[in-house]
Amino acid sequence: MIKIKSTAVVALAAASALVLGACASSTDTTSDNEAGTNTESVSEGTLRFAMGSPGEAQIAVWDQVAAQFETANPGIDVEMNYVDDDLYQTIGLPNLLSGRDAPDVYFEWAGSRLAERYEGGYAADLTSYMTDGVLSGIWEDSTFSSGEYNDKLLLVPHKADVTNVLWYNVDMFNELGITPPETWSELMEVCRVVSEAGFIPMASGNKDFWAAGNWLGHLTSRVVGEDVYDSALAQRTSFNTPEWVEAFGYIKELADNGCVNESANAIADNEGAQLFFQGEAAMHPIGSWLVSWAIGEAPDLNFDYVNLPAMPNGAGDQDSVIGVVTGYVINEKSPMKDKAAEFLALANNAEFVAKFIEAEAVPLALSAANAELDDRTARLNSMLASSNTIVGPPDTDYDLEVADFFYRAVAAVMGGVSTPEEAAAELAAAIE
Amino acid sequence: MKPHKPWVPFLFVAPALTFFIFAVLVPMIATAGFSFTDWNGFGEFSFVGFANYIELASDNIFAKSFTNVFLYILATLVLEVLVGLCLAGLISVQKSGSLWFRVALFAPVMLPMVVVAVLWSFIYNPDFGLVNSVLSAAGLEDWTRIWLGNPDTALWAISLVSGWVFSGFFMVIFYSALQQVPTELSEAARIDGASEWRIFWSVKIPFIRNAIEVGVLLCVTGAFQGFDLFFVLTNGGPFNATEIPTTLLVRTVFRNADVGYGSAMAVVLTLVILIVGWMFLRIRKWNDQKELRT
Repeated sequence: MIKIKSTAVVALAAASALVLGACASSTDTTSDNEAGTNTESVSEGTLRFAMGSPGEAQIAVWDQVAAQFETANPGIDVEMNYVDDDLYQTIGLPNLLSGRDAPDVYFEWAGSRLAERYEGGYAADLTSYMTDGVLSGIWEDSTFSSGEYNDKLLLVPHKADVTNVLWYNVDMFNELGITPPETWSELMEVCRVVSEAGFIPMASGNKDFWAAGNWLGHLTSRVVGEDVYDSALAQRTSFNTPEWVEAFGYIKELADNGCVNESANAIADNEGAQLFFQGEAAMHPIGSWLVSWAIGEAPDLNFDYVNLPAMPNGAGDQDSVIGVVTGYVINEKSPMKDKAAEFLALANNAEFVAKFIEAEAVPLALSAANAELDDRTARLNSMLASSNTIVGPPDTDYDLEVADFFYRAVAAVMGGVSTPEEAAAELAAAIE
Repeated sequence: MKPHKPWVPFLFVAPALTFFIFAVLVPMIATAGFSFTDWNGFGEFSFVGFANYIELASDNIFAKSFTNVFLYILATLVLEVLVGLCLAGLISVQKSGSLWFRVALFAPVMLPMVVVAVLWSFIYNPDFGLVNSVLSAAGLEDWTRIWLGNPDTALWAISLVSGWVFSGFFMVIFYSALQQVPTELSEAARIDGASEWRIFWSVKIPFIRNAIEVGVLLCVTGAFQGFDLFFVLTNGGPFNATEIPTTLLVRTVFRNADVGYGSAMAVVLTLVILIVGWMFLRIRKWNDQKELRT
């Protein structure tokens, strides 16, 4: 089962991070500058790799990459650190980076986090590797743009995830004689029909706030416009404006019409998904990772997706997609940048790209283009690639504390605890 | 006789003292120091004076977290200490055949709290949980609730789980204490015509007062340390209804990477616990003096 996020035992994960951070080994460095890289090459030592746990299937592939790399590079050990996802995203990675044995390569999300890593001195400029070095020719050049900052390529792209679409139960829709909603009014009508039939229109498990928070963030971006969405989350403008009140008003309308399960703010994301898998709910707003998850958990479920319905008089691009590119960064402080780049090149060769696809992860590498993918996954990738506007999720593209305030505000409106006006005012006050 | 070496006692306490300094004293001083900074935990930090404390003074969620923990303490005093005391009273009256009863009530204490929390998250699940299913099956659909998702019920639902776990623990403590009550006292009261209920409250309870005071102290301090149950069941939600200082502190430090502000919270929390402990000692001392006077 692949999950982007999961609730975990903090103590265990924290202990893992500490142990991983404390692992020590020696590095025998020899000066061997390569053209254009301005780094030191080494022939012995430990290449440390850190990422949030991508699930067992992908871990198996990464371990194979590590084994093959070690065989090809005698004297170099590869240490793979798989940290709990939530922990990695928050305090885990910063702890590892500031530790004595910081990772040479680490997973990161494109966006403000990447810029923060660069400003902190933890992201190497990979331009030379990616334009004419070992990492060139593996991806379309356009793929690099998401990992560019200050005219420097910082991120080796690996995957692109659509973080939210509206998944729906095809058989239930057929039985009820309804079609996937493409506009807001159609969505409200679908909610009415599904509710009257005794099912939950949309299931969400929002106890940890990000599940519905990302989806509702996308909704608000369609209403207020992407520029306003970006400037407010980046703390340049206030949330306490009429346009945000209007955007939050649509969330209230969702709640008032019984579109979302009443338990949304009380259950975890996996419990929300289970309502969809078990046929209790007609729709489930979540990301592209649902495909492999649903195939594993509910093999008989006939499901498909539709992008967020167009919002009436919305100021944003009504065909926008919410998504994020993820990949790997080479630590600026690493003495093994060349080897790290070679490792990433190996992980993205045709052999391992095929293995990642088998593990339900579709890399962005060119060699993945001809792979046989699940039809829904292929269409999601195509939708993301062809979209003119990609909206960044609050928790990966913006300050985590601001994202947290935002998620809590939309959850409060969805839960009927705050009015749109109160939520906008309280959110603005919290951020200020 | 060998000459006295004044440094010898220090040699013996050195290991414990070293451990205390590095594991308790240094982190406490460091936390107090961090509370005067704006620091995300890994980068450079800047000194901000009392800014974090000033911000805390107007932080409604922080204030609410203390309200919640005091309500939780009141609930657990009843559900853990009082229920534990009553259970101990019951099994001390009927000793034969009470072994399995005691084992069953004590068993939850042996379960890791995370396991307990996950177990009860299924029981409370509003869509397919045991509580709502039983209520629905009994024709009491109106009584079904989103137990952990409703701000009116979430804190009490968690308190109930806490009571389920720890009432057995306190039962064992009080049962042991009740075993120390001289049988002559009970028999004398019985000869005087006292009922079992009267014997329990007027003879046995005063006799085990010290054990009860320890139980209350454990319950109060345990409530301040509470985290795992809250974290797994609600993570402070819904809408801060179950936010307690520890969950808020962990969120502030580990999710929002605001170590300075979180450290200020930790300092205030420590002070509150110290004040509560001091008040407890004062009340106990006052009671002792009152008893001596009478």
